[in-house]
Amino acid sequence: MDKESRIKKVLNVLLPVILALLFGAVFIAIAGENPLTTYATLVQRSLFDFRGLMQTLHFAAPLILTGLAIGISFKAGLFNMGIEACLLMSGLFVAVLGFRLGHLPSPVLIPILLGAGILVGVLTIIIPALLKAFFNVSELVVTLLMNYAVILLVTYLATYVFRDPSRGYISTHVISSNAIFSRMFGTRLTLFFFIALAVFALAFILYKYMRLGYEMNALGKNLPFSEAVGINVRWKIVTIMSISGALGGLAGAGWMMSHAYAYTPWFSTNPGLGWEGLLIALLGSESPLGILIAAIFYGALKYGGYTIARYTSVPSEIIGIIQAFLILFLSIQFIRRHRLLDKFKGWFKTDKSHKEEGA
Amino acid sequence: MSIVQTKGITKSYDGFMANKNISFQVDEGEIKAIVGENGAGKTTLMNIIYGLLAPDEGEILIHDEPVTFKSPADAIAHGIGMVHQHFKLVPSLTVYENVLLGIEETRNVKLGKRTLKTPFIDRKREIRRVQEIIDKYGFNLSATTRVRNLSVGAQQKVEILKMLYRDVDIIILDEPTSVLTPQEIRSLFETMRWMKENGKTILFITHKLKEVMDVSDSVIVIKDGEVVGDMRKSDTDEVDIARRMVGRDVLLEVDKPRRKSPDELFIYEVENLSTVSDQGVEVVKDVSFGVRRGEILGVAGVEGNGQTELLYLLMGLMHATKGRVFFKGRNITNRWPKDIRRLGIGIIPEDRYLHGACKELTIADNIIAGYHGTPELCRFGFLKQQKILERRDELVEKFDVRLSNKEGLVDSLSGGNAQKLIIAREFNADPDLLIAAQPSRGIDVGSIEYMHQSLLDFAARGKAVILISSELSEVMSLSDRIIVMFRGEIIGELEAAKATREEVGLLMAGITKQGEARLHG
Repeated sequence: MDKESRIKKVLNVLLPVILALLFGAVFIAIAGENPLTTYATLVQRSLFDFRGLMQTLHFAAPLILTGLAIGISFKAGLFNMGIEACLLMSGLFVAVLGFRLGHLPSPVLIPILLGAGILVGVLTIIIPALLKAFFNVSELVVTLLMNYAVILLVTYLATYVFRDPSRGYISTHVISSNAIFSRMFGTRLTLFFFIALAVFALAFILYKYMRLGYEMNALGKNLPFSEAVGINVRWKIVTIMSISGALGGLAGAGWMMSHAYAYTPWFSTNPGLGWEGLLIALLGSESPLGILIAAIFYGALKYGGYTIARYTSVPSEIIGIIQAFLILFLSIQFIRRHRLLDKFKGWFKTDKSHKEEGA
Repeated sequence: MSIVQTKGITKSYDGFMANKNISFQVDEGEIKAIVGENGAGKTTLMNIIYGLLAPDEGEILIHDEPVTFKSPADAIAHGIGMVHQHFKLVPSLTVYENVLLGIEETRNVKLGKRTLKTPFIDRKREIRRVQEIIDKYGFNLSATTRVRNLSVGAQQKVEILKMLYRDVDIIILDEPTSVLTPQEIRSLFETMRWMKENGKTILFITHKLKEVMDVSDSVIVIKDGEVVGDMRKSDTDEVDIARRMVGRDVLLEVDKPRRKSPDELFIYEVENLSTVSDQGVEVVKDVSFGVRRGEILGVAGVEGNGQTELLYLLMGLMHATKGRVFFKGRNITNRWPKDIRRLGIGIIPEDRYLHGACKELTIADNIIAGYHGTPELCRFGFLKQQKILERRDELVEKFDVRLSNKEGLVDSLSGGNAQKLIIAREFNADPDLLIAAQPSRGIDVGSIEYMHQSLLDFAARGKAVILISSELSEVMSLSDRIIVMFRGEIIGELEAAKATREEVGLLMAGITKQGEARLHG
């Protein structure tokens, strides 16, 4: 890669962030604060303060996983939008099991719960995966719509089947203390972050050194080519979607055991860890390292929302505004990167005026 | 008298010089051929003259007046029209509607002294005017036929009509013969000569040297974006043009050792194979053939007569509704591409960048595609990076793939070199049968020569080849036997050594020996 295209690539990642922060600055100014000092406070508190940094990493942990979940499927050209569904299903079932199996000691219970979360994630995504692989049903549409069905399903289960009647709001029973990741260094940080980090390392190896990583790449770049040279496309679609779902499930389990402790309708917060994973995958250019950095940046932003509200007169909702702009600018980039517009343009324009091509 | 002249046209993309200081002139009323290998910059140059691209430097003069074109509409206004390689027609509309698309004649109403325009189309006048031009140039068309009912050759005439109607003086034809039968080519050349007699000037892009000698008055050879030859036809010949195009001597005729097909069993046999398209049309009908070891079976036919679908069936990308395929005595009907390859069938696909190579993957990734799971390259799910790079270097060297950057993407290779990469990958797996579809499409003369020799050598080693090609001379010179496809069926089979171009050409047009035309069969 030459220097120019490398600069372009970095700019591509940074530009949406810079623009979002600029627009955010306007709103901070409207709230009557100096945007520069506000951002300085945010950076200082979330990244350059030990306790703050640990908070940031704590928030980043599930985002690394959901970001990777989506990044892996996108890499293979599969638009899996169902990570939110995997996360919610896994969160609910882990909450239930974490309560029911609470008598088991931690070293037994925690692996069981993580495994259960992964399993639930895979089972959630397997239906759209099979539909895509065997009937070529658009995974984008099915997974997108599946989220809403799943939200209603888990809300129903939490409200009527697994509800803790002693609580004044919709919630399952709080999981056993044996199921909770203990805090480290007296901060919010738990083992969950290191699990996410390990998954990142595995993803990195997968992309770079493994056969499946090669096949993912080929599939994402050119599906007819992959099929013609003899890659078993159906089986790969199922495999990759399952890995994606597994990571979504792991994220749900980990978040339950490190942060939520009980399933409530606001378990995944707003807009939802799965959706934020989408944002992070885009921000990280769908590469593992990019996703790791983006997740930590986003974790800092999330925790920063609280600190800003505490140390300045800017409301924490400002982070929501910045997020919204970030989503807006990233979607523009997403459309460009996957040439979604070309598909429509192709109907009108067939001139190959740029390069001489063969007959 | 010069009608078009370019002076120092230069155009570059991201540092790649597509056109370097190109200067030439076209005389009024001549047919000028522009030849060059693919990627030499012919199309870029024509797109500049037609106003699709703006040159970085240099100027275009029409009738000795400098002009600047912002769009093709400007070019047409200056009397320059272009017929693209891929037609831009609306199949469901009639000939005259296609011709007048965008410049419809409206009915005018006279009110006293003033003429008012109405938004209604004056069909009668449109039909009359289009028919007049058709008759003038002897196109043998009816203005009211729907384009979807026309043959490819006739559709091309509609494209030419579009330009004639717009009253252009200079017509650019971009590789017009690539989709035509030999008979249709002859008819096109007649049209070109007739247009010339009517005072039109023709710029004719091609890479087929025979055509240059056939129809043009003068020829310009472009190589690496530069003019390397500007000659009257009478001063040159095919060998000279080919040498200039490639930069070295090229063997134009393949030296095919003719062998008697021994009475041997078929290694690969297809029985009554049929399939239907997504639209429910039976695109391959009852196709049966066989290939022996050491034999090249040519599948000829005008494009779009079921060869693509046949190829997809043989590749395992399409499902056969009927019939069976045997390879070395095993039934492999409707098996997956993976299985077909594993059994020892190599494939050079028709669509190079859809099924053959992936432009956005690296050269190494393309070299191992399909074979990346073999024990030499992969263990426990991990790819052996070192082995992969070694294989890349070995094959790039052995198959003479010219590349600027080993680590680069296939996108950076020319068509001919991308094709060599595919050949390298497929030959390296040492298959017993090679299915090559349109293998010389869009690649330069030098690479074609290389490819043809590779196929001959492959067959000489006792392997079987199925060569699907719409390039008649390719099929004729390489094959031992030829089958001709027409409307999804095999309409005839010939011994290549005895067959003539005319015989095969007639079969390609659907006319069997009994003299019955099967056009509406």
